[in-house]
Amino acid sequence: MKYFGKKLIAMAVTILVVSFLVFLAFAVIPGDPAISMLGTEATPERVAALREEMGLNQPLLVRYFSWVAGVLHGDFGTSYSYQMSVTEMIGDKIPVTLMLTLLSFLIMLVISIPLGIFTARHEGGKADRFIYIVNQIIMAIPPFFSGILITLLFGIILRWFTPGGYVSYDVNFGQFVAYLFFPALAIALPKAAMAVKLLRTSVASQVKMDYTRTAYSRGNTTKDVFYRHILKNALIPVITFLGMTLADMVAGSIIIEQVFNVPGLGRILLTSIQNRDYPVVQAIIVCIAFLVIFVNFLVDIAYRAIDPRITLD
Amino acid sequence: MKTKVLKTVLLALVCSTLTIALGACSGDKASENSSQITIGIPQDLEDSLDPHKSVAAGTKEVLFNVFEGLVKPDSNGDFIPAVAESYDISEDAKTYTFSLREGVTFHDGSQVTAEDVKYSIDRCAGTDGSAPLIEAYSNIDSVNIKDEKTVEIVLKEPDTEFLAYMTTAIIPESNENPDTNPIGTGPYKYVSRSPQENIILEKYDGYWGTPANIERVVYRIIANADSIVMNLLGGSVDMFVRLTDAQAKELEGSDFNILEGTMNLVQAVYLNNAKEPFNDVRVRQALSYAIDRTQIMEMVSDGKGTEVGSSMFPAFDKYYMEELNDVYSQDFEKAKELLAEAGYPDGFSFTLTVPSNYQQHVDTAQVVAEQLKNIGVTANINLVEWDSWLSDVYADRNFEATIVGIDASTMTASAMLERFQTDASRNFINFSSSAYDEAFRKAKASVDDEEKTAYYKECETILAEEAANVYIQDLPQFVALNKKFGGYEFYPLYVQDIAKLYFVDENNE
Amino acid sequence: MKKKKNYNLILGCILTGLVVVFVLVGLVYTPYDPEAMDSSLRLAGVSLAHPMGCDNFGRDILSRVIKGSGTTLFVALGTVAIGTVAGTLIGALTGYFGGIADEILMRIIDALFAFPSILLALVFVSLFGSGKYNVMLALGIAFIPSFARIVRSEFIRCKNMDYVKLARLAGAGHLRVMFVHILPNTLSVLVSAVMIGFNNAVLAEAGMSYLGIGVQPPDASLGRMLSEAQTYLFSAPGCALFPGIVIIIMVLGFSLLGEGLKKTA
Repeated sequence: MKYFGKKLIAMAVTILVVSFLVFLAFAVIPGDPAISMLGTEATPERVAALREEMGLNQPLLVRYFSWVAGVLHGDFGTSYSYQMSVTEMIGDKIPVTLMLTLLSFLIMLVISIPLGIFTARHEGGKADRFIYIVNQIIMAIPPFFSGILITLLFGIILRWFTPGGYVSYDVNFGQFVAYLFFPALAIALPKAAMAVKLLRTSVASQVKMDYTRTAYSRGNTTKDVFYRHILKNALIPVITFLGMTLADMVAGSIIIEQVFNVPGLGRILLTSIQNRDYPVVQAIIVCIAFLVIFVNFLVDIAYRAIDPRITLD
Repeated sequence: MKTKVLKTVLLALVCSTLTIALGACSGDKASENSSQITIGIPQDLEDSLDPHKSVAAGTKEVLFNVFEGLVKPDSNGDFIPAVAESYDISEDAKTYTFSLREGVTFHDGSQVTAEDVKYSIDRCAGTDGSAPLIEAYSNIDSVNIKDEKTVEIVLKEPDTEFLAYMTTAIIPESNENPDTNPIGTGPYKYVSRSPQENIILEKYDGYWGTPANIERVVYRIIANADSIVMNLLGGSVDMFVRLTDAQAKELEGSDFNILEGTMNLVQAVYLNNAKEPFNDVRVRQALSYAIDRTQIMEMVSDGKGTEVGSSMFPAFDKYYMEELNDVYSQDFEKAKELLAEAGYPDGFSFTLTVPSNYQQHVDTAQVVAEQLKNIGVTANINLVEWDSWLSDVYADRNFEATIVGIDASTMTASAMLERFQTDASRNFINFSSSAYDEAFRKAKASVDDEEKTAYYKECETILAEEAANVYIQDLPQFVALNKKFGGYEFYPLYVQDIAKLYFVDENNE
Repeated sequence: MKKKKNYNLILGCILTGLVVVFVLVGLVYTPYDPEAMDSSLRLAGVSLAHPMGCDNFGRDILSRVIKGSGTTLFVALGTVAIGTVAGTLIGALTGYFGGIADEILMRIIDALFAFPSILLALVFVSLFGSGKYNVMLALGIAFIPSFARIVRSEFIRCKNMDYVKLARLAGAGHLRVMFVHILPNTLSVLVSAVMIGFNNAVLAEAGMSYLGIGVQPPDASLGRMLSEAQTYLFSAPGCALFPGIVIIIMVLGFSLLGEGLKKTA
């Protein structure tokens, strides 16, 4: 239990550091939210008045601490550009990004685990070679480009979905999921390729271990040994990888949301940075950071649960 | 045992993914609302929805359908009475009197009263001592309610063009959240918005004028300009109004009609007249001699677009001076001579700052840079975000040269020319000419239309001769409209009039 | 296993060699000026004079692909160099000495890790402006945490090994132990990290160009060309195809090379 306490404190500290770094970054970045809001109608008088109104003239630390105080009360402030409550705005978009990530993760599992096991069992065969090459090529395509290709193939040529025809989850959940399937595929493909490769190497290294030979010499059947001993041990590094991937996917969604016109956290984040809409950027980054750290934490626990050599204290 | 569990889990995963994939195939039946149009817009309304506070052109373009002023512009650029039924301008151009129209209601059902009108105008004029929301309104001396249906606006200085500013939205005094809940008098009322996703409008049944034809308007945000063609072809968007020439070409032979108009702006290499070497008129002229507008238009929009030679675009036919296009024509020898005279016989290099979100300007910058190489001048292109552009170039004037398009916020010549007065707050190029200031002042003060026009034209001529900027073109605008719809009209302003759109074949609904 | 030829290494060498030759030639010779425009050749198709066709300004795509490969390779190499050098230093020092400095630095590294690297680069580019050097620096910084982590764990593993203790007993200074004794032992891990890092850098550059914050025009980079080509996917597929193929060859070559090296090691 001591371990959890320590971990939790470390998590909190990391998030504090992240949020402060963002605050600092925006203090030095060129661009002024007040000017940004007024656009070409900015006159020095209006800018000055607006800056005062927005509290931008207060010192950095004062602004930071009042922000932290607000967050502790569940209040992320008001968006400069939308004049909406940030909590509400982000709350609306979190399900979109979460669903996208979840779908990508599922697709990745569905593709990679059977394929990984298959290639591992047929190591060196023709099919293995072929999958290996396809894998390497998939990993070499920039994600946004595979997104464009998927749009072209499934959207324009096959007409399986309407490019840009995103439907919100509160309008029609089925269509929402159906649309997200394709961006999720674009995110999942390169990750699946990596997972297949990792699983294959991992299994291969287990096969050479002494315990495998012992198991065989005891008279166990090949299939038995494979699933009972080899796979179980081979999965340990894969789980670490999956955890890292989940975090990676949240980041990867920033680009893919842009390609598929999905209004998730990534899209809001990009435009908010451009608009110097600090309260929104702050909130999203803290959310993403939290998600990443939390996933890492879960992986850590899963890892310890599976591998008997590591204890929780 | 373990094997079984693993297999079951895998099977479940495969099944669920398959279900989703199958669901995806039927995803095409996106809610076919019988009377709905989906319009793609390149930027979200990252703005307040309060018509007096919103500043982005993209926001005004949408809100045009929700709000109306006492008068409103029509597609010829003239003003037609809206919330007011008629108006009267006094001889000395200092008193504007408006009679309100009978039976105009706000979207919440309440009647528009003289108090609402006074409230709206006072709010923009900042009569409570705050900075005016509309700069021109600082000229308002008082707003008086004559009777229930008559409002009088008294100016400090005479201004014959002031009617153009009376397009400012009339809003109800009772609305407590104008930022997020816009209530106006226009043909469409606001329904909802979701950031980076959409804005939804619905036909307002109590509209006083010709009602709109289409029940529901969904503005869908397509932030990624490169995906527009795919979205149009895929059928998720019915209309998109700002295509590039290349995008329009990709749509040939599809379900879309491509309409062509102009953007009504002045695209130019705007030079910081206060910075070396652009503080020397000879250098500015040399640059003007070095570029070839025809080639730029050829490269950027396949030869479409209209040349401009000063800060006025052709839609203002009253003020536009075609002859100014010929002040400079490409002549490298002349350009080099001028450079040598100015002390740069070997040319020089400068930074050309361009906002990265406008593909046309980015493309133009690349062509301009190539053309300037001919006279030994190197333009280093620096792409910046729109917000950096606003703060560095526009507000702080910390730049050497930039390429943007400047449009008119209202249908007046002064909207285009005001900014080049020496001490104008929007004079971001630091242009300074006493002759110009004089001519502009006289134009503004004049109450005789002919005289006024002559002075404005003098201003334009000065800008061209001084080569204040390297003027290029008014960009072409391409509108893609699904063949199901008709009735699109180009305005000389940055607005889209949705109320005029209709279904071409009612059976097609 | 020993009898088998190391196909990965051979193929990796060939592909990488091809790209390097391509880029080196580009330093001294391109068929056309990669920035010269010609309005009569806008979006021209494949021809003998222009084997890859022309882009929307009538610029020769082959020349631009050659120049662009150079830029992309340069950015990727720079990124990896920054990430490796800084990451190794931080990882080595924190891993070897441990203590409070390690704790603080690791918290910061954790924090950086929680940032998507694209985001970090975005903030950096907003701060210092775009352009290839800034992209390189931004990505380089974003890559430091992963290298630091790898090196750190290697150093922690090695620092209590006998050969390190022996070296210390023999009177070697800390720095000498760190960089002469331990570092060579982490090389195999580091090399594969570098190869992966290189590929990530190529892909990240493309991603940044897609978001409009990468290498700036008129400079050509493969990622930039790829994202610009999107509009012309139907009328001029060559604009996207050729830069895409070169990116794939580049990344493929390096990852095969990395795998091959791992097998020989």
